[in-house]
Amino acid sequence: MNRHLWIAGILWVVFTALALAGAALMNPFPTVGAEEAEFSDHAFRLMTYMGAPVFGFVMAALLYSVLRFRSGGPGEDGPPIRGVGAVPRVWLLTTTTLAVVVMIYPGLTGLAELRSDRTHDLEVDVTGFRWAWVVQYPEGFASQELVLPVDQRVKFNVTAPAGDVLHSFWVPAFRLKIDAVPGQITNLYITPNELGDGATDAAYRVQCAELCGLYHARMQMPVRVVTAEEYQAWVAEKAGK
Amino acid sequence: MAILVGLVLAVVGFVAGTGILGGIRTSMGLEYWSTDMSWSVGYPVALIGWLIGVGGWKYWAVEWFGGKAATPPKGVKRYFEWNMDHKVIGIQYGVTFVVLFLLSGLTAMLIRFELMNSGMQLFTEDQYNSAMSFHGIGMVAVAVAIMLGAFGNYIVPLQIGARDMAFPRVNALSYWLVPPVAIMLIIALLIGGWDTGWTAYPPLSVLTKSGQVLFNLAVITFGLVSILGGINFIATIIYERAPGMTWGRLPIFVWGAFAGSLIAFFFTQGFAAGLLMILLDRVVGTSFFHAAEGGSPILYEHVFWFYSHPAVYVMVLPAFGAVLEVLAHMSRKPLYAYRWVVGALLGIVAISGVVWAHHMFTSGMEDYLHAPFLVLTEMISIPTGIIFLSAIGTIWAGRLWMRTPMLFALAFIFNFTVGGLTGIYLADVPTDIHLHDTYFVVAHFHYTIMGGEIFALFAALYYWFPKMTGRQFNETLGKIHFWIMFIGFQLVFIPMFQVGVKGMNRRVADYPEAYEDFNRFISWSGFLLGISFIFFAANMVLSWVRGERAVANPWGASTLEWQVSSPPPEHNFEGQPVIQGGAYEYGVPNAPAHARMGTAAATENV
Amino acid sequence: MAAAVSHSHEHADPVAHAWHRVRINRLGLWLFLISDGALFAIFAASRFYIAGTAIDPHLNQLLGLAITSLLLLSSFSAYRAETAFAHGNTAHGRTMLLATILMGLLFVGGVAYEWSIAEFAASEVYGTAFFSMTGMHAFHVVTGLLFLAVIWARSGGGRYSQGPAVWPVTAVVIYWHFVDVVWVFFYPTLYLLK
Ligand code: HEA
Ligand code: HEA
Ligand code: CUA
Ligand SMILES: [Cu+2]
Repeated sequence: MNRHLWIAGILWVVFTALALAGAALMNPFPTVGAEEAEFSDHAFRLMTYMGAPVFGFVMAALLYSVLRFRSGGPGEDGPPIRGVGAVPRVWLLTTTTLAVVVMIYPGLTGLAELRSDRTHDLEVDVTGFRWAWVVQYPEGFASQELVLPVDQRVKFNVTAPAGDVLHSFWVPAFRLKIDAVPGQITNLYITPNELGDGATDAAYRVQCAELCGLYHARMQMPVRVVTAEEYQAWVAEKAGK
Repeated sequence: MAILVGLVLAVVGFVAGTGILGGIRTSMGLEYWSTDMSWSVGYPVALIGWLIGVGGWKYWAVEWFGGKAATPPKGVKRYFEWNMDHKVIGIQYGVTFVVLFLLSGLTAMLIRFELMNSGMQLFTEDQYNSAMSFHGIGMVAVAVAIMLGAFGNYIVPLQIGARDMAFPRVNALSYWLVPPVAIMLIIALLIGGWDTGWTAYPPLSVLTKSGQVLFNLAVITFGLVSILGGINFIATIIYERAPGMTWGRLPIFVWGAFAGSLIAFFFTQGFAAGLLMILLDRVVGTSFFHAAEGGSPILYEHVFWFYSHPAVYVMVLPAFGAVLEVLAHMSRKPLYAYRWVVGALLGIVAISGVVWAHHMFTSGMEDYLHAPFLVLTEMISIPTGIIFLSAIGTIWAGRLWMRTPMLFALAFIFNFTVGGLTGIYLADVPTDIHLHDTYFVVAHFHYTIMGGEIFALFAALYYWFPKMTGRQFNETLGKIHFWIMFIGFQLVFIPMFQVGVKGMNRRVADYPEAYEDFNRFISWSGFLLGISFIFFAANMVLSWVRGERAVANPWGASTLEWQVSSPPPEHNFEGQPVIQGGAYEYGVPNAPAHARMGTAAATENV
Repeated sequence: MAAAVSHSHEHADPVAHAWHRVRINRLGLWLFLISDGALFAIFAASRFYIAGTAIDPHLNQLLGLAITSLLLLSSFSAYRAETAFAHGNTAHGRTMLLATILMGLLFVGGVAYEWSIAEFAASEVYGTAFFSMTGMHAFHVVTGLLFLAVIWARSGGGRYSQGPAVWPVTAVVIYWHFVDVVWVFFYPTLYLLK
């Protein structure tokens, strides 16, 4: 019995190591385009690291049992282990600890962090309706393209007309989304920190992420993050028209 | 025959209902026909006609009017009309929902065909939305009802030593409400479909085409099925247990069914209420969700998820029960940590009602709700973890008999670990704000529903097939089904996590070219997965018709259902079985047998 | 609960079996009512969500009070009917059933009248709450009246007299009390706030 435990234990360590290595090497994420994106990816990685030993444990026990404890029929009974006593208690304690840790970090701390900074350098109004987006810039013009200056904190006021339906404002490169609710204004704060262009990178698109009927899939708008000078030039051109 | 009568009376009822409404409308100077209103009025009348026709009158309602209920026929005929035997109803549910499963699966194949390449191939956007919505609600209906409907009905009374369910007539009623659900969803497709997914969020569902009304009526009916079924199981398990069958000796599947029923009977109202409000907004002109008048679309999300989160546990708790059942018998060991599992099942029931808003982290709901729902959601992994402890502890050092049901039960452990752990990413607000409404979510819930519940369903199906049909299934075909399904499943849904994180959102008929490679791979794997069900269907049909006769207890299992013939006699037990020990006393020295079967002679004077 | 473990079907004694059925039916009924209650609760909660605690000033408060009192009174007569049947006093039971039906009808009539004179539309949020809640409740009252009528029509000949045979009456009366209790919550929610 002890030998079984040892081998399965080693298997657990190996699986966990493999899962951790895989998690460290992989880069499943789209382009990182904002401070918030770094933050979200960090939380994602962290949970993968924490999940690795749990996953490894279940897999080790499962695989080892399947390989070593076979029989050809109902002839013989296994040992009558009932699972009373210490094992379930230890399991409960461990999983509870894990769950509480994930709850607090990256959960609650992350939530607090997301809410902490309500300052902004630029404020734009975004309206979603079936099936397009419009951005209203403070200079008074509207645009069907979202152009943002790099390294500036932007506040988005998102809404939908009262007679319209739900939409959701989402830029994959920024990792944040918020629903556009008819008759209500919702907010999002984003600090883009990399230049990017929706023409070449699908992560730089505003994508409606709430089913809104017929052309939901097509409810997109290109995003461009540009330098401060380019931004000024673009604004001047737009406002001038 | 009875079905035909039911259909005719349904049509008559529909014509009568819409006719009366039309008469009133014309007299008020309105048009005779208004799709939304006419269906809302005609459908309930049609439903009553249907129920009367399939036998509700002949076998039940006639008594209220002083008549005498007919005696049901024997043989194959009884499967096609109103019947109150829980064994007949179990098979009716099973077959109906397997057919619905294949139908919704076929729709998934079409979805995968459409998504194979960027650009439109098979569908228009509109057709895609309808197909996606049908696939979603069809599968959700299967997942919510098949485990309890088929195996709950057939097996639970046998396992607890009862002669039937507590309310046989209500049981028949709730089954016969199912075909109208499927028929309405199909009619909805025929009259142009609906495009709100299975979640039916307003205001879209208030504004969109009339297929939505049929969807709402169908799903409200389905809610009734679920509620009546839940009540029936609770009453059966509380009051119909054989002598000696204490709560501590109940087979774990019965506990799973009990826990699932507790949720079904209390929360299903939410979905029904939400859909009713949509109907009222559409037909009567109320303003529940009409922002311009002060209504709120977010209200619907609260009401809907108040049910639809607990619903996932209606799906999965009976599945937990079935898997643990199979694992214990096929490993020939006592169920590990039985009492903890029972506690965990009830713990999940308790927490499931207070986590719903984790589906709404990006909905614009009040900020202060985020933190509590994050915490409560992650708490649910603690009781769920106990189920895993039990599964692992049960197979550890056992004598694993690797027959088809066992393979499915073991695959359940693998799949549900993936599904459950990815649920944590979604429960965590900082990551969910990105992942919400992407294919990461799609992958998560296919891993939990399909990888979890549907794999458990197949474990249960193969495990109890000999008992229910009296025939043994073909083991080779069963194993081929398993391996193709298992491998195909991983190949379809693992890449979905990736493509979701990369930025592909769900419920889209088309996507940027950047995601094309992934999708092509997913689609081809999807077809592989689809092929596995051909082996399944062939196995079921062939084995049922000409399979080898099954012995009473092919698995050598200890629980009561295996102590009677396959299939069981009409009244389940010749005499009164008496329970004298736990259900899983494998290898326990000197343990008493689980049950002592009564003899017919001892209870002659029933 | 262990005491509840029954000898499910093998009752040699038909009376014991009948009582066993009554216990099961009672549980089933209560489960149904809890489930139905959840539906009412959701609608009541929705009222606060969309309309806050606002009340339309055009409500006829006197009418509201009157029908509420009637419904409460009818619960009392329903209770009397049940006890009468339980004591084998069919005649008194039938009278009390009739009284209950009568008051129930008046209640429904009152609601219908309130609807006809209401000065708010269903499209306003308060109207949405008012019409949907009273409508759903009235629907339950009407089904309750139908049940009461069936029971009344069949109660001749001592069918429901004493012992487990009273159960159909009890069931309908419990249902009636439930409908009444729901109104006890709905009335202040719709009429008395703020
Ligand atoms: C059977 C169905 C089922 C099940 C069981 C679950 C289980 C869980 N689900 Fe899932 N979920 C769905 C079906 C299901 N889900 C569906 C259908 C949707 C999408 C609906 C739609 O929008 O259409 C969804 C969506 C969904 C969301 C919303 C995502 C979004 O739209 O943004 C979230 C967020 O929190 C979530 C979380 C969870 C969690 C935390 C669990 C937990 O119960 C999982 C618990 C299990 C484990 C964690 C693994 C085993 C545990 C251990 C091995 C112990 C150790 C582990 C730890 C201590 C962490 N789910
Ligand atoms: C029980 C639940 C369940 C199951 C089993 C499945 C099974 C499958 N699902 Fe499903 N799915 C959902 C529940 C489920 N799904 C839900 C709830 C949604 C959300 C809907 C929404 O957003 O509103 C969804 C959405 C969904 C999407 C996202 C659509 C979108 O967002 O646009 C996709 C995309 O690939 C998909 C694919 C699949 C595939 C390939 C399978 C495969 O496993 C299917 C396998 C194939 C079959 C089962 C049939 C095979 C049959 C044959 C080959 C014919 C043989 C027939 C006879 C012999 C008669 N599903
Ligand atoms: Cu707008 Cu989807
Ligand atoms: Cu959920």
